[in-house]
Amino acid sequence: MSEQTFLVLTALAEEPLHGYAIVQAVEQLSEGRTVLRVGTLYGVLDRLVADGFAERDREEVHQGRLRRYYKLTDSGVRALQAEVARLSANVRAASAVLRGRGVQAWTRNA
Amino acid sequence: MDEERVSNLERRYRLLLKVLPRWYRQDREEEMVGIFLADRTDDLDLEHSWPGWGETGAVLGLAVRTHLAAGAALTNVPMKVAWRGEIVRALGMIGLLLGVFYAGASITSMVYAYQHPEIVGGLTWLRVFDVAPIVAFVALLAKKRTTAKLAALAAALPAVVTVGPHIGSWLLFQLPSLVTFVALCLGFHREAPTPPVRRLAWWGGGALLVGVLGGFALGSFVVPVVAVVLRVVAFVRGDFVLGRALSVFAVLELAPLAFLLAGGEVFGIALVLAVLLVISAVAPVRPLRTS
Repeated sequence: MSEQTFLVLTALAEEPLHGYAIVQAVEQLSEGRTVLRVGTLYGVLDRLVADGFAERDREEVHQGRLRRYYKLTDSGVRALQAEVARLSANVRAASAVLRGRGVQAWTRNA
Repeated sequence: MDEERVSNLERRYRLLLKVLPRWYRQDREEEMVGIFLADRTDDLDLEHSWPGWGETGAVLGLAVRTHLAAGAALTNVPMKVAWRGEIVRALGMIGLLLGVFYAGASITSMVYAYQHPEIVGGLTWLRVFDVAPIVAFVALLAKKRTTAKLAALAAALPAVVTVGPHIGSWLLFQLPSLVTFVALCLGFHREAPTPPVRRLAWWGGGALLVGVLGGFALGSFVVPVVAVVLRVVAFVRGDFVLGRALSVFAVLELAPLAFLLAGGEVFGIALVLAVLLVISAVAPVRPLRTS
């Protein structure tokens, strides 16, 4: 699972979101490291919908513009859960190696 | 939407979105425009800005994936579009199998050159690139798409280096390799389905074996013959995708044959094969089953 897909799944895990809200949520979650282009977002959303991890929710018009909401499916929650478990295992393994070298595993970026 | 208040930026973005297929735009255009313009409120920005290289690249990438959509990777894809992607992928795979066959023949010729340097003038390091199609094929089956594409490009590289003044003939002979590379880049995008590994492994192994054992002796003429035979098989089995991919492949294979015909070498055989390839290219395929 790519980082972009992971972040979109995470953003949708909280509540159904429309496209622009997903872009903002991803930027926040990644602390500004990932800024989704619109073309990229739809590549990710298409894949999530096709895989059954997300589905279209309601639509509304906001200031004359269409907003379509997307929500996570149960299958999407399980996929996110599995990815979190995989990443956590990697983090644990890497942390153990660093501790073995006497290096602090967590540093706070400026 | 208020038509009178459409900004230049919106107009430019909608123009960019025209690279997307119509069926996709009908469903997504308003939504995409809404997101793109959501935080663009400055009048000067709206009047004078352009979508930008990053967004343009992202939309172009989306255009490739939607125009050559994989049936399973997108929802609401028209059947015709889904098949188009399948045909491009089949063409890339046929091109790779052809490359594997030639790589097999090259391995035999390299062994021969190593054993008899006095006859064939020994080996040059450029021959390493001859086996690049095998790397590309294995990488694709192992889901290493980028490696596969780079290896497919590498297969055409030595010809670029050694082309010299014979650019016309080079283009004709390298056309299948170049088209294979393009087909791999376009067809095997991230959303494309994984090729059927076990079945293709058999085909790849067969192509390599035939290349190693007989490619050197059989020469290039065996390729059009196999293409024509497979074209007939595809028609009988009603395999629309394989049939269409082989039609395109037949056109590509016509190019080097035309060169041989023009040169007057082995004119009779080349003419017969050329006629068979033309028939393969234009012969009907079984109609698409839309059920």
